[in-house]
Amino acid sequence: MDALLLFLVVIGLMLMGVPIAVSLGFSSIGFLMIFSDASLASMAQTLMSAFTGHYTLLAIPFFVLASGFMSTGGVAKRIIRFAIAVVGHMRGGLAIASVFACMMFAALSGSSPATVVAIGTIVIAGMREVGYTKEFASGVICSAGTLGILIPPSIVMVVYAAATDVSVGRLFLAGVFPGLLAGVFLMIGIYVMARIKKLPSQPWKGWKEIGASGLDALWGLLLIVIILGGIYSGKFTPTEAAAVAAMYAFFIANFVYKDMGPLVTPDGNPHLSLWKNPQSLLTVWLHKDTRKVLFESGKLTVMLMFIIANALILKHVLTEEQIPQAIADLMLGAGLGPIMFLVVVNLLLLIGGQFMEPSGLLIIVAPLVFPIAMELGIDPIHLGIIMVVNMEIGMITPPVGLNLFVTAGVAKLSVLNVVRAALPFVAILFAFLILVTYWPPLSTWLPTVMMGPEIMIK
Amino acid sequence: DCDDGEMVIKFSHVTNTDKHPKGIAASLLQKRVNEEMNGVACMEVFPNSVLYDDDKVLEAMLNGDVQMAAPSLSKFETFTKKYRIFDLPFMFKNIDSVDAFQNSEAGQSMLNSMNKRGLQGLGFWHNGMKQISANKPLELPGDAAGLKFRVQPSDVLVAQFDALKASPQKMAFSEVYGALQTGVVDGQENTWSNVYGQKFFEVQDGTTESNHGVLDYLVVTGSDWWEGLDAPVRDQLATILKEVTETRNAESTRVNEEAKAAIIAAGGVVRELTDEQRAAWVEVLKPVWEQFEGDVGADMIEAAQSFN
Amino acid sequence: MASPVDHGRSFGDSIEESTMAFLLGAMTLITFANVIARLMSSNILWALEATVFLFAWLVLIGASYAVKHNFHIGIDVAVQLLAPAKRRIVTLFAVAVCIAFSLLLLKGSWDYWWPFASSRAFYEVNDIPMPGFLQFFAHWLNDGELYEKMPRFMPYIVLPFSTLLLTIRFIQAGLRIWRNEQILIIESHEAESDLIDAKVAD
Ligand code: NA
Ligand code: NA
Repeated sequence: MDALLLFLVVIGLMLMGVPIAVSLGFSSIGFLMIFSDASLASMAQTLMSAFTGHYTLLAIPFFVLASGFMSTGGVAKRIIRFAIAVVGHMRGGLAIASVFACMMFAALSGSSPATVVAIGTIVIAGMREVGYTKEFASGVICSAGTLGILIPPSIVMVVYAAATDVSVGRLFLAGVFPGLLAGVFLMIGIYVMARIKKLPSQPWKGWKEIGASGLDALWGLLLIVIILGGIYSGKFTPTEAAAVAAMYAFFIANFVYKDMGPLVTPDGNPHLSLWKNPQSLLTVWLHKDTRKVLFESGKLTVMLMFIIANALILKHVLTEEQIPQAIADLMLGAGLGPIMFLVVVNLLLLIGGQFMEPSGLLIIVAPLVFPIAMELGIDPIHLGIIMVVNMEIGMITPPVGLNLFVTAGVAKLSVLNVVRAALPFVAILFAFLILVTYWPPLSTWLPTVMMGPEIMIK
Repeated sequence: DCDDGEMVIKFSHVTNTDKHPKGIAASLLQKRVNEEMNGVACMEVFPNSVLYDDDKVLEAMLNGDVQMAAPSLSKFETFTKKYRIFDLPFMFKNIDSVDAFQNSEAGQSMLNSMNKRGLQGLGFWHNGMKQISANKPLELPGDAAGLKFRVQPSDVLVAQFDALKASPQKMAFSEVYGALQTGVVDGQENTWSNVYGQKFFEVQDGTTESNHGVLDYLVVTGSDWWEGLDAPVRDQLATILKEVTETRNAESTRVNEEAKAAIIAAGGVVRELTDEQRAAWVEVLKPVWEQFEGDVGADMIEAAQSFN
Repeated sequence: MASPVDHGRSFGDSIEESTMAFLLGAMTLITFANVIARLMSSNILWALEATVFLFAWLVLIGASYAVKHNFHIGIDVAVQLLAPAKRRIVTLFAVAVCIAFSLLLLKGSWDYWWPFASSRAFYEVNDIPMPGFLQFFAHWLNDGELYEKMPRFMPYIVLPFSTLLLTIRFIQAGLRIWRNEQILIIESHEAESDLIDAKVAD
């Protein structure tokens, strides 16, 4: 009962316009002061250990930074050109190409809003030029951007792993097929809509353009190989992979594509040569473009992590009051089987996703449902993927949907219009969620083949 | 759930409740306290690091937010460098000599050695002797040269791997299995029960029965809290703890032998050392003692040696 | 991300922005350096711990910058439905909650930090070595016993510092709302996209 009150206060404060992070933190501290004898100092300690005690969360700033360098540094632009060359000639081709571009960028970036910004800033304008409505273009980007967290690497998977101690590498593998399939679902949906709405297609530019654009995008796409190859060949851990990705994107952006940094000429073209300007290897570190990407990525990290840190305070208070056990006992006592349990989990996450940002929500919900799932024999990797797909839906549904907010900013639309535009895609993702929930091999087959059968370490 | 009026004792630890030696001991302690001290005290156990990890739990204890914990002995090196004796390689011949030392006057004095810094040791819980494993056979100390080993945060353990000309690496415990599997690190050291419990043997070439070190835990509480208890309550708690400690410590050899047998049954490779091979490891690693003799005290080393 | 509305930037802003950029850059470089070191069978034993402390500094200091520039995420749909006068009252209440939150955290942070600077000044971090030029703290706080590792009060000082800053910033935001210079305490997406629409005149 106390716990229910706590959740109601959290939601009430959010609806009154209190920042999400403060709603979580304030309610938790208040609850603690009333119902427990733990000290205020323990809250400060929990805040600190959000960073010092959860090493995997370190991947968040690194993946955000890598995305920043890739969108500022021209990787996104080149991926889009390649995507258009491949599928642009189909009916609704530019929209389908946008989904394809989002899928490729998602394979480089761990974040959905970052994917929306990187691809959306360019393709929404492009789609408008050839006659799509701004709303339709926004709906496409807003929903395809959610693939950022399903196709590995993924910040949300990292958070789930941090909350439950399952292997990040395994989760990443588990996301591959669901991510590809979700992309195909969206593309089919767009193709059908394009037929009905009679949307335009792009001229077929020939194999030569596919080759040329593919080659130009290669440096960016190589990052997929570096991230996944590096992890699975034992060069670095998944967390470190994110930092390596950021460093790689930094060098590609500044010294290969030269779309930012010391080798940009005032008129932008042609770029200066590194060979003739070796001093740029030193000046790049303090260059204003570098500083700007670092700062903007820092800002996004702060927004995400301050919520996560306060969600960890809430989690600490729930643990302190032994509420996860109480809920587990309640659910198991009600004789819930695996199928009904997954329905309950989906409902919980879908409702929670209306109010919360994904990582913060996962930090709270994962410890509540994880022990029950283990008890019911549900695969922890499968559960993780279900949660990620729920989070995708949460990102494009109001009132709190990170992708809605970002798309509104990028497309210069009101959030309400984006909500409406995203609605058909919510339906598609919802159908996809049911598929993922009740067809475990879609998620578990690849990690099992690549890394051997699951073992639970606790 | 605890009843009103009962004193709540929070015990926070980092393992499961029913398979790991420490988790089993904590569960047994909880059961006995809640049965025998019903109405007076009530113990809540928080396993799996859900409340605090080993690093934060001592801070929380000093703040009075948790009453009991059992971190591994190397966590206490920041409170008193005397605890480094337990990390020194080949200091103890086997778990019986560890046990004898801990129960000696010298060992018992270590329980009170952190009082001025706010901690009261209550008893040592065994996990067992450490073995060493890697992705290639380790028979002589030279075999470890050039390999990367995951180490716990401890200067002694870093020095131990430096002495082997290996490369010690820091890594969160939850990442170790994956890191061994993909080869981010090549090897690790641990007890049989941990090598089995964490399934490390699946992703290693084999485990060498080196018995080169000890992995034990200190049951610890805040001095202020302990001193503030009513004497009868404190005595009863101490008695229960002592009995639980004796019961579980007596089991530790069997638990580790079973884990070792289970590893072999599951297809894992276990390598025993010949006397000459063991002597070679001792010769390479014993110089580490000199490095830390000032911290530990020559008298303590002598006391420990007397039980081998 | 995507903050196209350019605020007038003060000197203070520029210091905070450079600090955040530096902290994130340092985290990335240290982690990358550790990967390279390990590939060469070497190590930087303090890399992981240093990185997580920089991470904490980044987010905790950034949180108050976020109040100053109003980019904390929240739900504005409900309050946007209210008439301006009512909305102002609700928002003032929301600010009061924020101030209470930051004051509680400030008290907690001080309670947590102060013992590390006094009675627990012996308490060191796990891996980061103590730089020699800072050893005067050992004479000052640790009875002259030199630190092998950095004492915890050093990285932890960010807690009282940042929560104090957070409190000040929430009070300032409250004053701005009181004076009708600001509407909400969270990033408002409706207002922002309207503003951009007006500017772009699309
Ligand atoms: Na991704
Ligand atoms: Na939502």
